[in-house]
Amino acid sequence: MYNDKNKQKIVDIIKNAARKHSLWVLAYGTGCGAIEVPATMTSRYDAERLGVRGAATPRQADVLLITGYLTVKTLKRVIRVYEQMQDPKYVIGFGSCTINGGMYFDSYNTINQLDLYLPVDVYISGCMPRPEAVLEGFGKLQELIGKGVANGARQYKDNLDYYRENQKKVIKNWDFQDYNW
Amino acid sequence: MEREKATTLYIGPQHPGITGNMMVRLKVEGDTIVGARTEVGYLHRAFEKLVERRNWVQSFTMMCRFCVPEPDPVEESYARAVEMLDKIEIPERAKWIRVLVLELARMSSLLLWHAGQGHSLGLYTMGQWSVGDRNYILDLFEELTGARIYHMFIWPGGVRRDFPEGFEDKVLRTMDYLEKRLEDYDNLLFENSIFQKRTQGVGYVSPEKIIEHGVVGPVLRGSGIKSDIRIDDPYEVYDKLDFVVPTQPGGDIWARALVRRVEIRQSISIIRQVIENIPKGEVYTKVPNPQKWKIPRGDAYARTESVRGEVGMFVASDGGRKPRRVHFRGAAYVHAVTLLEDVLIGQNIADVSAIMNSLGTCPPEIER
Amino acid sequence: METLLEKIKDRVSVNFDLKDHKIYADQKRVDLFFKKEHIPSVLLYLKEQMDFRHLMHMSVIDWLEEGEFEVIFLLWAPKEKIKVFVKTRIDRENPVMENMDNIWPQLNTYEREFKEMYGIEFPGLVAPEEFILEAWTGPPPMRRDFETDKFAKDNFATRPGREDAQDVRETIAKRSGEDIPDFAKKYSR
Repeated sequence: MYNDKNKQKIVDIIKNAARKHSLWVLAYGTGCGAIEVPATMTSRYDAERLGVRGAATPRQADVLLITGYLTVKTLKRVIRVYEQMQDPKYVIGFGSCTINGGMYFDSYNTINQLDLYLPVDVYISGCMPRPEAVLEGFGKLQELIGKGVANGARQYKDNLDYYRENQKKVIKNWDFQDYNW
Repeated sequence: MEREKATTLYIGPQHPGITGNMMVRLKVEGDTIVGARTEVGYLHRAFEKLVERRNWVQSFTMMCRFCVPEPDPVEESYARAVEMLDKIEIPERAKWIRVLVLELARMSSLLLWHAGQGHSLGLYTMGQWSVGDRNYILDLFEELTGARIYHMFIWPGGVRRDFPEGFEDKVLRTMDYLEKRLEDYDNLLFENSIFQKRTQGVGYVSPEKIIEHGVVGPVLRGSGIKSDIRIDDPYEVYDKLDFVVPTQPGGDIWARALVRRVEIRQSISIIRQVIENIPKGEVYTKVPNPQKWKIPRGDAYARTESVRGEVGMFVASDGGRKPRRVHFRGAAYVHAVTLLEDVLIGQNIADVSAIMNSLGTCPPEIER
Repeated sequence: METLLEKIKDRVSVNFDLKDHKIYADQKRVDLFFKKEHIPSVLLYLKEQMDFRHLMHMSVIDWLEEGEFEVIFLLWAPKEKIKVFVKTRIDRENPVMENMDNIWPQLNTYEREFKEMYGIEFPGLVAPEEFILEAWTGPPPMRRDFETDKFAKDNFATRPGREDAQDVRETIAKRSGEDIPDFAKKYSR
């Protein structure tokens, strides 16, 4: 975890307390995990009581939920979406296949390890993770934000060359503009 | 310069109205669509390649992941194709349990469709209700199979295990509850004048398109043709069950919605019949050791009626321990590519999402 | 059932040069084998004259050892409720198949896929270049001589410690300080 000097100023404490109770999740079902997101959001599990709700566009969203395996074609779109999101932004890797490829470890079209391409704050394991696990993952993310250690976005900015190198290795038709926000 | 000029508009892959991870590229003049092109490939995991490296039982764990909202018909198709190839007879009780699981999956998928169809027209309450109620079916699945979504339950040779204790009563109680809830859904969705006005006459599928595009399932029945694989080409014990195949002549979203409205009630009735008539006995035939299981050379095609229509599995063996070819045919493979491109022409941009939902678009089924 | 399937076979063999056939009475299915050149006219005949209107599926099998692709069309007659599998073999080195999307427009999708996945050429197919893959430079991936595990190993890094598919239960137990329960040991590899 990327920790800046391990202490927070008072303004950061207030800022993080506000941020952690309003996590807006981008409505982008990148993989099969998207099937448990409606269940998490609706009446029985009701993630909105934790301040977790959907957002339609990247500019309004705080959390990018990578729901499952990423094919190379989707990875390009996900990176684009992530770079459009505005700070504060966090990434949750959802499902075993984002951690080490899961059951698609030998597929020619899916990436195996998400954190080479995007800075991941929290992983949720399972195939598929239950809604309780998803809520637990959001709880963990809130805890990390409160402590001020969920600094994925800064990590991405500081180590952009490293991420770019990995991304260009798998995305053959690279046509991105510079990352400038 | 001409006054009207077509603009290109991209819907998806990141779009709240799209059904899954896919893209539709539209050519629009004002608000009217004059051309559409489906672009898929965002979910291609190469299952059909991966099964070449896995044996017959390892492959079976991949089958449910072909289609996320309704995994069981795919498992059923694969299991039945392998049984056809190896000439395995499965016990009678296993057939009845399979029907129960398939119908529960059908109900859970139809409840999800209620949510999607409501959501695509701005009726967000529908989603809160039906996805919440869907959890009761997933609870039943969890008790029976151990998982909410990917059950891996219907395997070559039967089903994995028998009912747990008191399971039948729980199923019946859940069915009673859901039957009562369906009246609320009628009030909320089907009697809603917004829903009626936005769906009637929209997304028309003409009878000529049906033959051309190989249309199946509720889309076919919504255009007035009585066709259901459970009756035409009966599998398991569907020929012993009593149920109605609804049809509607309209051909629009409204007709297809009415077909699905009746189908969910028929599923409840089938589940009750299964619980009433299920015989006692074994639930699986012993199959050989998976590491050594060889299947004679040949090919087979098994098909199952899912909520979206025919899902089939073409399995070919070369006489070895691993499948030579497993090729999946999803209903969305034709519905969401050539048919959708055809139906969208002349419609409004605002109706794209509703039409996609109504045709049963399911992108993981297209690219596998 | 057997006689009905025989009759279908006979009716087709009167009009076309049938290479071989096979009848599966239990599956209500008859397999018809033809030369590649006859396939479009056979399909059109079956669709228009014999009521096999529903194209269930089209599939390709790669027989690497025999140097051939097997192309299969699966048809269904809604009235008689019978399946017909129309099969043909094409050369693996130079695979060309006639474009048939004027018979069933849905074949357009199948042909796009097989062009991409097997490298089969369909002269006259009007469709965008890419269907599923994007910026793919390797050989057509569904051919059997393409090795997906090797490709994945070269292109996508695996997490350190998970290079092989070994049992990690002991590592996890050591890390968390818990014992493996007895019932779980039984299933250990």
